Amino acid sequence: MSLLTVKGVSKHYNERIVALSDVSFAIEPGEFVVIIGSSGAGKSTLLRCINRIVEVTSGVVTFDGLDVGSLDKRELRKMRTKVGMIFQHYNLVNRLCVLENVLHGRLGYKSTWAGALGIYSEEEKAQALRVLRLVGLEEQVYQRCDQLSGGQKQRVGIARALLQDPKLLLCDEPISSLDPNASKVIMDYLKKINTELGITCLVNLHQVHVALAYAERIIGVKRGRVVYDGLTEHLTAETIHDIYGSEAGDLLLGSGGNHVG
Amino acid sequence: MQREQSLAPLWQPKVRPRLGQHRALNKPLDKGTLFMRLTMATFLALTVLAFASFDYQGINIYNAFLGTIDNFRVLMLSPQLTHFSLVEAAEGMLITLSLALLTTVIGAILALFFGLLAAQNLSSPLVSSLIKGGVAFIRAVPTILWVLIFAIAAGLGSVAAVTGMAFHSVGYLVKAYSEAFEEVDSGVIEALRATGASWWQIVCQAVLPTAQSYLLSWTFVRFEINFVGALAMGAAAGAGGLGFDLFLASAHYFDLREVGFITYLVLAVALVLETITTQIKVRLRVQT
Repeated sequence: MSLLTVKGVSKHYNERIVALSDVSFAIEPGEFVVIIGSSGAGKSTLLRCINRIVEVTSGVVTFDGLDVGSLDKRELRKMRTKVGMIFQHYNLVNRLCVLENVLHGRLGYKSTWAGALGIYSEEEKAQALRVLRLVGLEEQVYQRCDQLSGGQKQRVGIARALLQDPKLLLCDEPISSLDPNASKVIMDYLKKINTELGITCLVNLHQVHVALAYAERIIGVKRGRVVYDGLTEHLTAETIHDIYGSEAGDLLLGSGGNHVG
Repeated sequence: MQREQSLAPLWQPKVRPRLGQHRALNKPLDKGTLFMRLTMATFLALTVLAFASFDYQGINIYNAFLGTIDNFRVLMLSPQLTHFSLVEAAEGMLITLSLALLTTVIGAILALFFGLLAAQNLSSPLVSSLIKGGVAFIRAVPTILWVLIFAIAAGLGSVAAVTGMAFHSVGYLVKAYSEAFEEVDSGVIEALRATGASWWQIVCQAVLPTAQSYLLSWTFVRFEINFVGALAMGAAAGAGGLGFDLFLASAHYFDLREVGFITYLVLAVALVLETITTQIKVRLRVQT
């Protein structure tokens, strides 16, 4: 059974702005799928429709056998705990320390007041430390997040998502604000999480060459529609030109174009 | 080349007319200037008219002026307590500070809840605009009027003063707090929603920690305002404290020296408060 199915999903912000129209695909457990497409193509909206940060206009999202659109508030919170999310701008609470930010990953599991007051069990704290060790941040546990570098912040973001014990990881342009070195570190962590922990990853990316290097399967989105859905090795230069427009396609592929197709 | 040409006029030094030369010619009489001059002329005419039509009742302006200066000199240069002891004055100050503290604390607690509901990123548009409209109304009516309105129910005195001042504090702080909450990065709120966190968890774990320095400094600003308000209410609404002592000294005993002493006392406390506020702000800024 597919972990996630998106069927006929459309999202209209208003009559003129159509973010997604009739998007359908299915993700199997353990896959590493990259969504590519230019800015404004609807990639971010698509990810947010999956955990209902954005409500769909029409269509059905099914996650782990649950019809996401029909969940009530409590069920939705429960479902969201199983879907980790990481962001381009990390979205950490800068005034809190690394550990506190990572522990936010447990909020969905806790009673409202225990979570609001930040009361965590020893087990949760131990798990947070284990996850931080996994992303190589054991030295920075008590550091405030605004003192970290971009790459470190994104690793805190990953740790927060991992502490949710997710089945699916949604990554919204995780490396768009990072330099090439940090980008590689982050992508390697995501790949490692996918292969070693078996967590399904759905990653939005701008960078086609990164997508080609890491993805098993690529979904191409253009103006709110899926224009390509298939294995990475079947993606042709023409399709990339189609997704990004021909001139941008040349720039994106450059000399790297030869290992496409 | 074309680009250079178009830029050229920008780089040419401006030829300035010499001072006084052609000034009138350079500045044509446009609508704005005309309006300004007409306004000034009207003010001037009104001033002259006012002074000419005062009922002076045979006051010698020169003597009155000297008298005022003399009063001021007594007030400022020979402060002295006659009807109260220093302990009583300190006690009055303590009461005034307590009034300010009480009204600020009540106002801050209420404003925290309403501020959360008024913040657009944490509330529904309807609730947010209802609360914002309500507090705008509360703020538009001066504190003293609220005190007098509450005095209808509670009678003039400390109860009316505290209620009225706290009421106005709520109006002021809801605006300040909700704006601080709205500054919180929407991405952070989104990230916590995505973990499955509930509204209160998001507020306590992300919004309050991020906005706390703003909240603290706004609360202190309001405390200073309430200190001044508590002085005025002590006299005007009979709420007691140093304001009432000041009222007695001036309107009852006509004792300028005592008024001077109390003025200096208030000034000293205001300076201390100001220093504390500045210190707190500096410390908070270092943290940010």
